[in-house]
Amino acid sequence: MDMKVKGSKELLTEVIDAGLCTLCGACAGGCPYLVFYKGRIVLLDSCTLSQGQCYQYCPRTYTDMDAISQQVFGTPYSGDELGTTKEVLMTRSTDTRIKESAQYGGTVTTLLSLALEEGFIDGAILTKMSDDKTPSAFLAQSREEMLKSAGSNYMACPVLQALNQLPKDSEQRLAVVAMPCQILALSKMRQEPPQDRMNVGNVKLVVGLFCTWALSPDGFHQFLKENLNLPQVTKFDIPPPPANIFEAYTPSDKISFPLDEIRRFVMPACAYCLDMTSEFADISVGSVEGIAGWNTVIIRTDVGAQLIEMAKEKGKLEVDILLPENLAHLKEASLLKKKRALQEIITRSGDRKNLLYVSLQQSIIDRLLA
Amino acid sequence: MSGVGIDAPGSTQLFIGNEAIARGALEAGIGVASAYPGTPSTEIMASLISVAKEMNFYAEWSVNEKVAMEVAAGASFAGIRAITSMKQNGVNVAFDFLANLVMSGIGAGLVLVSCDDPSTISSSNEQDLRNIAKWLDIPLLEPATFQEAKDMTKWAFDLAEELNTICMIRSVTRIAHARGNVRLGELPKKEQKAHFDSICPVVPTLPKFISYPSAWLHSQLHAKLDKARELFESSPFNWYTGPEEAELLIITGGSCWLYSLEAVKALKLENKVGILKLGTIWPLPRKLIELHLGKSQKILMVEEIDPFLEGSIKELVADLPPATPRPTFYGKHSGHINAYGELNPDLVIEVIASIMNLTYESRPAEYSKKAEEIPFTYMPPRIMTFCSGCPHRATFWAIKNALRLDGRDGFVTGDIGCYTLAIGPAGFFQMRTMYCMGAGAGVANGLGKLGQFGFNQPVLAVCGDSTFFHAAIPALINGIYNKSNFTLVILDNNATAMTGFQPHPGTGVTGMGEITTAVDMEALCHSLGVQVEVCDPFDLENSTATLLKAIAQDGGPRVVIMRRECELVRGRRDKKPPYKVHVDPDKCLGEACGCDRLCTRIFGCPGLVWDSESGKATIDETICTGCGVCTDICPQGAIIREAV
Repeated sequence: MDMKVKGSKELLTEVIDAGLCTLCGACAGGCPYLVFYKGRIVLLDSCTLSQGQCYQYCPRTYTDMDAISQQVFGTPYSGDELGTTKEVLMTRSTDTRIKESAQYGGTVTTLLSLALEEGFIDGAILTKMSDDKTPSAFLAQSREEMLKSAGSNYMACPVLQALNQLPKDSEQRLAVVAMPCQILALSKMRQEPPQDRMNVGNVKLVVGLFCTWALSPDGFHQFLKENLNLPQVTKFDIPPPPANIFEAYTPSDKISFPLDEIRRFVMPACAYCLDMTSEFADISVGSVEGIAGWNTVIIRTDVGAQLIEMAKEKGKLEVDILLPENLAHLKEASLLKKKRALQEIITRSGDRKNLLYVSLQQSIIDRLLA
Repeated sequence: MSGVGIDAPGSTQLFIGNEAIARGALEAGIGVASAYPGTPSTEIMASLISVAKEMNFYAEWSVNEKVAMEVAAGASFAGIRAITSMKQNGVNVAFDFLANLVMSGIGAGLVLVSCDDPSTISSSNEQDLRNIAKWLDIPLLEPATFQEAKDMTKWAFDLAEELNTICMIRSVTRIAHARGNVRLGELPKKEQKAHFDSICPVVPTLPKFISYPSAWLHSQLHAKLDKARELFESSPFNWYTGPEEAELLIITGGSCWLYSLEAVKALKLENKVGILKLGTIWPLPRKLIELHLGKSQKILMVEEIDPFLEGSIKELVADLPPATPRPTFYGKHSGHINAYGELNPDLVIEVIASIMNLTYESRPAEYSKKAEEIPFTYMPPRIMTFCSGCPHRATFWAIKNALRLDGRDGFVTGDIGCYTLAIGPAGFFQMRTMYCMGAGAGVANGLGKLGQFGFNQPVLAVCGDSTFFHAAIPALINGIYNKSNFTLVILDNNATAMTGFQPHPGTGVTGMGEITTAVDMEALCHSLGVQVEVCDPFDLENSTATLLKAIAQDGGPRVVIMRRECELVRGRRDKKPPYKVHVDPDKCLGEACGCDRLCTRIFGCPGLVWDSESGKATIDETICTGCGVCTDICPQGAIIREAV
């Protein structure tokens, strides 16, 4: 495992061409060379710099988990199933309009809307789907725009490219809603703020989403296009186990695909990811197994706690405890992802001491491999 | 009247070789001149066309060299003297017609001037067209001086009429573009009347101007050549200088005669080395050569590109009576002279010195070294690139980005024009094949049919507007007909820019400045049933998106026209830039992460200059033409354009 910061050439050979790229977008949009296009990070011209921010912030180049944990939580990385947590709850929005278009409980849109209303943020980097269901990241600056982003299609989307593209003199205070890999990259940015780009200190709220894997925006989109009339689709869903299906809703119908058919479009890079619950976010949000219309919420930081408290007080969110069996399930799933990823990493590197990109304490490695 | 048309017989003018040739044609009383531009031949037509109206003859830039050749032949058939000029590649284009034309004979005097380009200073290939004269049985003259360039051209018309066959003049870059004194002759003042007389004098039922019956006509042609040989035996364009008995005999012609003369003089060998200078190159004056062969047992052939004289003279020697002593030949076969590239006096000195076992140092080695180094200490390092503000740079930027984004290892098949520079950094190394006019589209046809062999790389053929009309249209039609999968990008800058902004069928103006129908390439493509998109290359975003869409398609060809006037043409006309451009040094990131000198390192417009002291890009206001494209390239918005 090489700890050195390198340049775009090495990013290409060590990450992108090596099949480790998660399409988080951290390398793209900050320079004229690296751009995201149709499911790939493309190098438009050669850059001669031996060290670049593209390589530095990539969540699949050397990542010191203790240092990042120190930066976010003030403690070394625990390696616990759900990472550092303050509280794990169950919430749902009280706003009927949000609930209508929400994937599960509408918690994320509700929290963002509240943060905007209260003047805590000026906008949020979110993902939306085009008519033909191509995901793209954008800066939402109103409640209406935030509503556009509700719902998921499970495809990877370079959210951080949109962040990198913001004017560097922008004073806007931002929320970022992203996947675990993206939040890991964002954490690396916050640890050593980018030069000549937007001020990462303006990111005031980080909302993480749960993620078991993401689908290739190229291959999977092609599959969807071949099998569905995409502009008619109103929602995609992967219901919790044991359903084992991928569903597409149209105003009149629900089309199901066996999940195994979908899995072939999973990004190869996801196999090496240790994080299911966006462990470096202020708040992490996902579904609740067996309870439709609710979100699981992990509060990790004071910022996250304050926002949930405010949402509760103002009646924006209904809050309930997460049943112990649900919590146990969540931990089990998260731990399983860590164990599998670590095995994959070691199989690939061929060396238990070489974890490709991640630096973990030996005790955590031993625990996960036990 | 000035230039080549000056009516001052007996006066001496300083002409480049091409002007001397043009003057010769004027003194011969041409009525028609036709050409397609091509270095180093262009100025022959350029100078003729500039006086055509005043001197009451017709001149045109033709769509291509074959048509130019046919235009001149048409005039000849109707009794009007005609000249056509082209570079060596052009003769290849005209070759099919030429090979037929030699069978029939001509009407009035008809002369083809072919300009070879040894060392390919501005050509895609190196080719010695003397071989074509031999191959097609065409009488060929080659001038060694500017005076000869004029005199030979004039005489070639008389010769053509006397022999009843087309005659050729071969020139090379150093004759075409060098300048020397030419003593002028009379300009004919008589009126000319054209009439097409089609009756064959031999078989009245046959047309006069056909290449059939070929075998019989071929035998007639050989007789014409025999007659030419006889005339050449006493031609004043051939002469010998030197001792009666020479230690070494140089046989040479054209520009090489001057190199030989200079070499012999430098070596002070005038009394030992003789020079037989030939101006009538094909057919060779056999008796004259045989006569001089006896002067020495050592014969050196000094000629550029192919061993043409060498081979032909060895053929003569083979026919000599068996008892004749065989001299030793030096030249390209013996390895003394390269069978490629230009010669110069130094090279000839070296060869003579080595044959004569002499040592010669033209200048002290130390001095030579210094002289060679000096230019590089004062010259700013510059790559061969597109002009500042050239639309081609923007086009290839869009092509590069589109092909990279597409990600299937697509490439450009190239063609002949300014845009050929895209084989290098000027066009971001996008052009990966380059042959002759129209070959970009032609080669793309073949590549575009390889799908069944797993070929998935996008093929993007480029051609200029003039090239499109010249030779790309048949390739496009072939692609449509045979459903070949490629994108044809026409770089329409509304001029034949590389050879000096000659008009072409799409420009709406003739070579003589007359307003004419502009052939609408877009409408033409539409009529062929092919999808056409037109982009302004300066709109990089739209150009890239349009190209991406085009290359993503399957099936038959697609056409994208990148339309933006050549900046040099626009600049000359408008006399002011559209924008004033400057760099905000506070915003310029320079070498830092986030830029790494994109504008000066990759985009490479000569108007953008890297200031290593400040670590910022700047605009060279003397070079910048204010196109403003770099504003859209800069990732930081540091290049600012303000409308003028």
